Amino acid sequence: MKASPARTRRWVTAALSVLALTAVAACGGNNGSSGSSSGSADKADLTWSFWVAGAEDQAAWQKVADQAHTDHAGITVKLQGAPWDSYWSKIGTTLAGGKAPCIIGMQSLRMASYAGAMLPLDDLIKKYGLKPEDFDKPIMDGLKADGKQIAIPYDSGPMVIFYNKDMFKAAGVPDPKPGWTMDEFKAAAKKLTAAGKTGLVTTPGDLGTMSWIRTMTGAEPLADGKLNFTDSKFEQGFSQYADFVKTDKIAPQVPGGNPDFETQQFTGGKAAMQLNGPWSLIDTKGKVKFNLGIAPIPAGPDGSKTYTAGSGFGISRSCKTPDAAFQAIMSMTSEKPLTTLAQAGRAYPARTVAHPAWFTAANIDGAKETIDYASEHSIPLVTSKNWVQVADLLNRFGTQALNGEIPPDQALKTIQDQAGAGS
Amino acid sequence: MAAVNTTVAPTGTPPSRGDRAGRRPALRRDGRYASVFLTPSLGGLALFTLFPTAMALGISLFDWPVFGERTFQGFGNYSHLLHDPVFRRVVLNTVLFVVLYVPLNVVVSLGLAVWLGPQIRGRQVFRVLFFIPVMTPMVANVMVWRLLFQPGGLIDGGLQSWFGIDAPNFLGSSNWAMPAIVAMSIWQGFGYNFLVFSAAIDQVPQSQLESAQIDGAGPLQRFRYITWPMITPSMFFATTMTLITSFQVFAQPFILTQGGPGVATQTIVMYVYNQGWQFLQMGLASAAGWVLFVIIMGITAIQFVGQKRWVNYDV
Repeated sequence: MKASPARTRRWVTAALSVLALTAVAACGGNNGSSGSSSGSADKADLTWSFWVAGAEDQAAWQKVADQAHTDHAGITVKLQGAPWDSYWSKIGTTLAGGKAPCIIGMQSLRMASYAGAMLPLDDLIKKYGLKPEDFDKPIMDGLKADGKQIAIPYDSGPMVIFYNKDMFKAAGVPDPKPGWTMDEFKAAAKKLTAAGKTGLVTTPGDLGTMSWIRTMTGAEPLADGKLNFTDSKFEQGFSQYADFVKTDKIAPQVPGGNPDFETQQFTGGKAAMQLNGPWSLIDTKGKVKFNLGIAPIPAGPDGSKTYTAGSGFGISRSCKTPDAAFQAIMSMTSEKPLTTLAQAGRAYPARTVAHPAWFTAANIDGAKETIDYASEHSIPLVTSKNWVQVADLLNRFGTQALNGEIPPDQALKTIQDQAGAGS
Repeated sequence: MAAVNTTVAPTGTPPSRGDRAGRRPALRRDGRYASVFLTPSLGGLALFTLFPTAMALGISLFDWPVFGERTFQGFGNYSHLLHDPVFRRVVLNTVLFVVLYVPLNVVVSLGLAVWLGPQIRGRQVFRVLFFIPVMTPMVANVMVWRLLFQPGGLIDGGLQSWFGIDAPNFLGSSNWAMPAIVAMSIWQGFGYNFLVFSAAIDQVPQSQLESAQIDGAGPLQRFRYITWPMITPSMFFATTMTLITSFQVFAQPFILTQGGPGVATQTIVMYVYNQGWQFLQMGLASAAGWVLFVIIMGITAIQFVGQKRWVNYDV
């Protein structure tokens, strides 16, 4: 056999075509899970994209998904889980490409970035008679963008102080009560800072930092939807917050890049207090070897003020069966699955009727009083579209400000310059 | 396949007449078949390397948010990078990492490879030990080093209990964070070059070293005039590869410091990752990616040109 040039060309063309086809097939390999579904309002096979931490987590959340099938025989929901970080890397591109699954897990702090690719749920809420008043108001509001409901929450929670009751007792400091002031907090923290241990541990995370600033001066990160970090009240609040580490030395120096540092120090008994959300409470209680208490954030000049965050489920714009998806979400956020999750010691439920089960599972004195108080004094943290960048910058330059490497106002100015107006 | 084999076989045998006219068709046939056999890998290269590289160049000319309108910007992204103090610092950080890491890595790995020469007993055990950090997942390595470095960690705790002094806040201080990352990276990475150098040193003929010794050459002279020239090809390979991978450093700062404090340890690849996958700004990410590509291409080209002066392939 002799290969003519024409034949060779044909071979090459054929080989390239096969390669190209294979590549196209590989790129499109994920399509089975996307676009989500076919069917009608009562009959659809849906995919739900959500963050999960492992096989056990996946199984627990699949049970939540199965509630949809229990309530509606024609609807099935398949959970497509991914670890937290890769979830957010992936969901952005799938939403933008119009290939996202029907049901999307959404966190209130990140919602502003993705709201444009999500379906507003207000009409569906009316159509299917979901009662917003059955949920915690701050988190219902926290999952709104431009006044439209983007997701239905499953968990929520205002930031509160977790404290080590044993350390308080040993130092002769009385347990904090709702309404305790910033001066009382600082005096307690100073007394608790001794022998290599500190009264507080803090890192410049977005939710914590914003809560401290809000209770100290009432300043908020956005003004008219634009980033407002160089506002004088905001600077003043941030500066007072940085003083915890820098000048008061009631909290240890912040290491760069360890998001678990706060929790490690607190659960290890090296710090007496941390600011945290109820979603971590039961998990923390299981980890620590001391008596755990919770208290509201200390009151500044205008009282105790904190922020609420939480997560929920929404529908992608590309979903072809939004009615079925909404009914599935209603089932997934209904009393039964949220109570089951609460009994299992997971996040603080967004549906008020599931609260008692959660408090029973938590079994911490005064937890209900504290969380109810904090919830009343909280508002949702409304974020900018580029909040992920803002939070990243806050972490970087906030660490330097807290450690006293750069002045707090310079840190805020750098963040504002880098992040711009926040669109 | 049988048909192919029968035709390929004669091309390998020299033409009987030995004239140029007789060789040409054979060469042409070789070329044709070579192109067929090369197609899969060339296709892969085109699809997974050349196409994304060209695509990234295209994207870098746009304001390309993952959500929203894409607008053509020309060299706007590059101009933004040039004027952005953060990106300038990021480039400087990357260069600083390379300048600290590459020489130290080579010195440590070469030093140990020379020390653990063929005459040392139990060197296989050391080789395995030194190679373990290369094999273990980077994430696990970094986690352990984080426990060493952080306030209240092993170093800080040890210094406090033995001497009553605080260790520096290694990962939270702008001055200490980069040296901490370099130290961790060297521990993690020297094992690979160590093996390369070790294998090269094993190839140096003992007879030559012994005759030099008989002629009165000391250990330093034997290394300088016999071992060194013979291991220069390995040295060239090791430095080139280490230089390229160190410009691409990502995992260590990403996990150890997340690029902080401030941007003290943020590297170019981290910047690309953040812009692209965290902040969803594909245009800026692609432009930064191209800046890195050009830097690496440039430096690798310089190394290839420079090798003529010091790399010895004749032995």
